[in-house]
Amino acid sequence: MFVGRDLERVDAAAKVAGRAAFAYDLKKEEMLFACVFRSDRPHARIRQIDTREALSLPGLARILSAKDIPGKNLFGAIRKDQPFLADGAIRFRGEPLLVVVAKNEEVARRACALIRVDYDEIAPILSPADAESSPLHLHKNGNLLSNRVVRKGDIDKGFGEADVIVEHTYSTQWIDHAFLETEAGIGYPDEQGRVVIESSTQNVHYKRAEVARLLGIPEERVRVIQATTGGGFGGKLDVTVEGFLALAVHHLQRPVLMRYTREESFLANTKRHPLHIEYKTGARKDGTLTAVKVKVIGDTGAYASYGETVCLRAAVHATGPYEVPHVHADSRMFYTNNLPSGAMRGFGIPQLAFAHESQIDEIASLLSLDPLEIRMKNCLKKGSLTATSQVLSASAGLLETLKKVEPFWRQRRKKEEGSGFGLGCMYYGIGNTAVPNPARAQVELAEDGRIILHTGVCEIGQGSDTVLLQILLDALGMQPPNVILDRGDTDTSQDAGSTSASRQTYISGRAVYEAAGKMREFLERRGYYQGKDLREIYREAEGQQPLRFDGFFDPPTTGLDRETGQGAPYATYGFATHMTEVRVEEATGACRVKRVHASHDVGKGINPILIKGQVQGGISMGIGFALLEEFIPGETTSFDGYYLPTSMDMPDIEVLLVEDPEPTGPYGAKGVGEPALIPQAASIVNAIRDAVNVKVYELPCDVERLKILLERKEKR
Amino acid sequence: MLPRFSSRKAKTKREAVTYLAELEQSVLLAGGTDLLVRMKRGEGHRYLIDISSIPELHLAVAEGSRILIGAATTHSQIGIDPLIRNSARSLAEAAAGIGSPQVRNMGTIGGNLANASPCAESIPPLLVHDARLTIESSRGERVEELEQFITGPYRTTLTGKEMLSTIRAARLEGYREGYRRVAKRAAWAVSRLGIAWAIKEAEDRFLDVRLAIGSCTPGPFRARNAEALLKGRRREREVVEEAVKLCLDGIRHMSGERPSFIYKLPVIRDLLRAILNNRL
Repeated sequence: MFVGRDLERVDAAAKVAGRAAFAYDLKKEEMLFACVFRSDRPHARIRQIDTREALSLPGLARILSAKDIPGKNLFGAIRKDQPFLADGAIRFRGEPLLVVVAKNEEVARRACALIRVDYDEIAPILSPADAESSPLHLHKNGNLLSNRVVRKGDIDKGFGEADVIVEHTYSTQWIDHAFLETEAGIGYPDEQGRVVIESSTQNVHYKRAEVARLLGIPEERVRVIQATTGGGFGGKLDVTVEGFLALAVHHLQRPVLMRYTREESFLANTKRHPLHIEYKTGARKDGTLTAVKVKVIGDTGAYASYGETVCLRAAVHATGPYEVPHVHADSRMFYTNNLPSGAMRGFGIPQLAFAHESQIDEIASLLSLDPLEIRMKNCLKKGSLTATSQVLSASAGLLETLKKVEPFWRQRRKKEEGSGFGLGCMYYGIGNTAVPNPARAQVELAEDGRIILHTGVCEIGQGSDTVLLQILLDALGMQPPNVILDRGDTDTSQDAGSTSASRQTYISGRAVYEAAGKMREFLERRGYYQGKDLREIYREAEGQQPLRFDGFFDPPTTGLDRETGQGAPYATYGFATHMTEVRVEEATGACRVKRVHASHDVGKGINPILIKGQVQGGISMGIGFALLEEFIPGETTSFDGYYLPTSMDMPDIEVLLVEDPEPTGPYGAKGVGEPALIPQAASIVNAIRDAVNVKVYELPCDVERLKILLERKEKR
Repeated sequence: MLPRFSSRKAKTKREAVTYLAELEQSVLLAGGTDLLVRMKRGEGHRYLIDISSIPELHLAVAEGSRILIGAATTHSQIGIDPLIRNSARSLAEAAAGIGSPQVRNMGTIGGNLANASPCAESIPPLLVHDARLTIESSRGERVEELEQFITGPYRTTLTGKEMLSTIRAARLEGYREGYRRVAKRAAWAVSRLGIAWAIKEAEDRFLDVRLAIGSCTPGPFRARNAEALLKGRRREREVVEEAVKLCLDGIRHMSGERPSFIYKLPVIRDLLRAILNNRL
């Protein structure tokens, strides 16, 4: 049995030994280097571009602009509103104008520094409030990108039934993905004259489609291969280097390499949406929630990216993991001249969790109820109705996660001055929201007797390579030497969808399971399980029938009603409880996170130690989100000023897994990538309140802001 | 990307100052933790004179009532040196917290002072220890108090032809001493605030109090008014409060009212209370 085992990662040895080839390690003969010339104004029209000095540099190969795009100069994950290269209009500081290609990186970057642009500057729109009131439209249909609502029950009746009502406004900051490996890729023409792109990416089929549109060629003339990828967290779902590489290869017919510096990644890449959340909660005096009214306003920046998804998820998950009969959620995303925000681990739910967990703690405090008990009283369970009136028919283990944490909660003791304990709960829909998002996989018997798994799933460090193989091995009843993995190549695999929304274990895992099931049936008929050799089986079957078996899975969901948001947007949800102990030093405002107990319902832990790794990483991101990280457009340029937690900021962590099997998941598994992060910041904020009786409404609650809050409290 | 440069490796102090005198557009390189960052951002120098291996610049020895520290001694070395830990503990504690292990292994006390960032963490402990600096050139040498050496943010009295060679810190025996930094995270972050203290007391009476505060003022700040008030006084609430007030007034006097003070001054107030009451 491999499912359920702490199997060593299949990619570990190569990565640790430095043998794994990341995009920047790939080398080709006569390779050029490309970099991007970007706008340094947030809002402008391009009057004139002067590239003469740059072009005269020895070693400069070519400078490409929007005019050199043969196909469509627009891309976007959902709505295609973003130019690859600006064509007149500049909408954010960092917007790409030109691709500069030279014999090496030094010449390319020096050439960039010599380019002069005349801009006609326009007053920038820098907040959703400005965007809403401004007569200036950043896009054809105005400045409102998206408005999604959830309406359940009767909100006024709900508040009418409440004995206590708590109302506050919460706000959160832009966050950078800060993946270890910056955006990078190589492009080259192959022997058939196709464009091949090998890049650091979270998806391959999507990138192929965008590149084909950019060049105005059929998709079959493009091949995208995932290079070893050092982290993504949502920041490598959008086209990053792929379009620029493809354009350069198209015009120069030579290999081209690109790699963003860290400063460039900070400037150019999407961020977590900063959200403004107005939250009103009503509850009866026994702690039962009666009503939740939420207004979410987000700054999606210059282009849509995944703004619509974040907008929708925020509305759908606004209540938190609780059964609330009356819900009124209103979520809006505005275009501004800030940089585009997009997919970032949790798609808006870490921000919402900060709000909903603070609210329920405050309700508990007003009613003198235990924070754990009020959550147990209201938590979603099997049979509950969500905010979109979906009935949770299975795999709803939130109560079990609360019970796992309960002994530690009951035993908590404030050992020193400034000690505090806080809880954070969450639920998170696994997979894309209310739309089909299937995955395909293929299992093939090769001539040498090995089984090949062909999958488009991108391994970004979360462990999908390992987990999918574990599922395959158990489904076939085989050992590791029998199977090999072929992944992330559009030539040899079918679309598995993106590595995002915590979906690949659940959806591709199921597709792999289905494909393996067909292979198993075939092998049974051919006598493998009676001892026949696989090479023999291949020889006998060759020519008679295809030895590739397809698997497919699309989670059963429904769309959401436009007026009410009601429906079944996900087939399964992750659930979790984090309990955090902090120590606040009142003299300085320093908050140290001492200990976290994190319990997650994962359906089935295919590889428990990988899950624990995910949760530890999620906790570190939650600490950054709550206490340390803050990207300020125009000001934050590098890690010098953007503080990620170091090992010295990390607490002791205990991960407690709950397995409430998901019937539609492979061996009962669902997802954990984003749930790992979602409740952490919320639990830190609640622990701070417990420690020093200070309420935090703005993130990050860094050392300075906390001290100022403490001073204000003293003065009152 | 680094601009082009040539380099010379000096084997002695004499070689170093000779190179400085004779080579145009030359600059000294010890650990390079400030210089290389500036050069990556475009600061150009024709010559880098590497002084990191000069034996005379790497030492920490007792000399009468003072400790002699070579300017190229690294923060790591200072953090673990037994003489400094025993007789200038606040300096060892400050050095041991600068940056990260990699930065501490390369960065030097001389570079920290010559760069003269207002956040330089060697400054408060050295102020507490009445540090005197020896500066050498091909013309000879001069001695200067630390408070005179630093003339403003990132400005010292060093001409382009001079090298800071030695720091002499007063030995303090019988003091309780320490250094406390405040930063945005537990490690590897610029100090937002640093306090060095050395306090000699008997029963409940302050005999000699030395306090220096870093990252708060444009130049080095030693809280002399507060120190003078405390000398000989009993440790009582009103006395401590008065001293704290004098210290904060002194900071405001030197800096004016800064936006960061809404955060920094309450922290200094609370840390000083804890330090003076021996609760830190």
